[in-house]
Amino acid sequence: MNELYVSFHLLDRQIVDRDGLEVGKVDEVELGIDDRGAPYLAALLVGPQAFGPRISGWLGRLLTGLARRLRTDRSGPLRIPYDLVRQVDSAVELSVRRDLLREPELESWLREHLIGRIPGSAE
Amino acid sequence: MKKFLAFTLGILTAIGGFVDIGDLVASSLSGARFGLALAWVLVLGVIGICAYAEMAGRVVAITKRPVFDLVRERLGPRVALVNLVASYLVTLLTLAAELGGVALAIELVTSVSYLLWVPVVGFVLWVALWRVKFETLERIFGLLGLVLVVFVVALFRLPGHGPDLWHQALSPVPTPGENWNTYWYFAVSLFASALTPYEVFFFSSGGVEENWGPRQLPEMRVNVFIGFPLGGGLALALMAVSAEVFHPLDAQVTSLGQVALPAALALGRLGLAVAILGFFAATFGAAMETGLSAAYVVAQFFGWPWGKRLQPRRAARFHTVLLVSVLLGIVALMTTIDPIQLTEYMLVFSAVVLPLTYLPILVVANDRGYLGDHVNGRLANAVGVIFLVVIVAAAAAAIPLMIVTGAGG
Repeated sequence: MNELYVSFHLLDRQIVDRDGLEVGKVDEVELGIDDRGAPYLAALLVGPQAFGPRISGWLGRLLTGLARRLRTDRSGPLRIPYDLVRQVDSAVELSVRRDLLREPELESWLREHLIGRIPGSAE
Repeated sequence: MKKFLAFTLGILTAIGGFVDIGDLVASSLSGARFGLALAWVLVLGVIGICAYAEMAGRVVAITKRPVFDLVRERLGPRVALVNLVASYLVTLLTLAAELGGVALAIELVTSVSYLLWVPVVGFVLWVALWRVKFETLERIFGLLGLVLVVFVVALFRLPGHGPDLWHQALSPVPTPGENWNTYWYFAVSLFASALTPYEVFFFSSGGVEENWGPRQLPEMRVNVFIGFPLGGGLALALMAVSAEVFHPLDAQVTSLGQVALPAALALGRLGLAVAILGFFAATFGAAMETGLSAAYVVAQFFGWPWGKRLQPRRAARFHTVLLVSVLLGIVALMTTIDPIQLTEYMLVFSAVVLPLTYLPILVVANDRGYLGDHVNGRLANAVGVIFLVVIVAAAAAAIPLMIVTGAGG
């Protein structure tokens, strides 16, 4: 793949870690400007706070509001520096393991308070 | 043995499309009212779902991306979100109906009102989805559902009207006393149920659960080309026995007990028992399919870790959606809404959103960036495009037909 189109090859694509485990979707990208003034791809953003604003209207507001209520945006969207991307294919593959990234708060909260308390959750 | 059982995912998926609670009644009802004049819709449905399940399976085997990944990628977040909401609702309400179906099958045996069985069935379903391995579930319920073959046996044991059935099947027009609107309303709902979106969600996600790769392409095709025709064949048998028994009497079929009647007439008590066992297995299998699919689509839309191949604590959001969906299904039924009518309405609404699921599959199946040399051939594309046109036509006609006919009344 020589040319990469952000909207076609990146946005809304599944991100997996080096072992193929799901990390999230590319909900938004962050661009930076280098010394010469040229834009470059700085990071992938993951999470409802990054995704909500892309959906205009009441649906987007509902989603962002829900995310806030479900305490998933204490620390903003998950930011994955683009250096960690190993390959862009049918999924965006990272060169690191998922455990090295911050875990979404909704996942940890549900594990601690609900799923992890049901017998057999670790089998 | 493993080779022999390699097609159970296809069968279990097909059960949800052809012999779940809504279809058991819908196929019998259309047999009673139209004889076999609507049999061609089942044949058409089998061809359509085979074509699209094969494409979705191929995408999974090559890229490991299930269908709802493609939906969001190709339709963009907003349209995909609309599809998510619609597909989730359809799947959830179908799940509720299946729980009711299992409970109705138990009611036939125990004479205890199905409403009392619903929470029990819901709990057992959740435990099965929580604890039992995907392959085990798929094999038990895929194979057990095949006992519905009792209706094929019944067809041959009933005193023959063979020539009548052929005549009805070959003259696809409304029978005397029925009109074209009702005829097309039944046709659209039978077609929509053959292609319900949760089939491709479940089939493609099941492929990921079973860790398909390029080497499993033949196994995937065996699943598609054995599973769906078998499911469609069972639905056809239900329609035919009903055409034989009820159509000459101008009788209507409205309850699960009536659906079982032809098996009892042809094969006595044993036939009835096997039919009820088949209803139980098929509806429970469909409940698993819809329950998992509801959670699959949400997790895949948002990119969460999902699936039964992970420990539940490693996929906490996925298992929460699963748990909540089963609970919502139980609550929906406890409102005493009629589970059979519920699926009939659901079919019409699912017809409306069908194109939003099938278009992305067709597009990606043609993308060399994804599939390399495994992109669609001419045949797959010809069938795919023709069916997309039919799907869009059915989607456009569904709601007007429902209104004009008063839902087939």
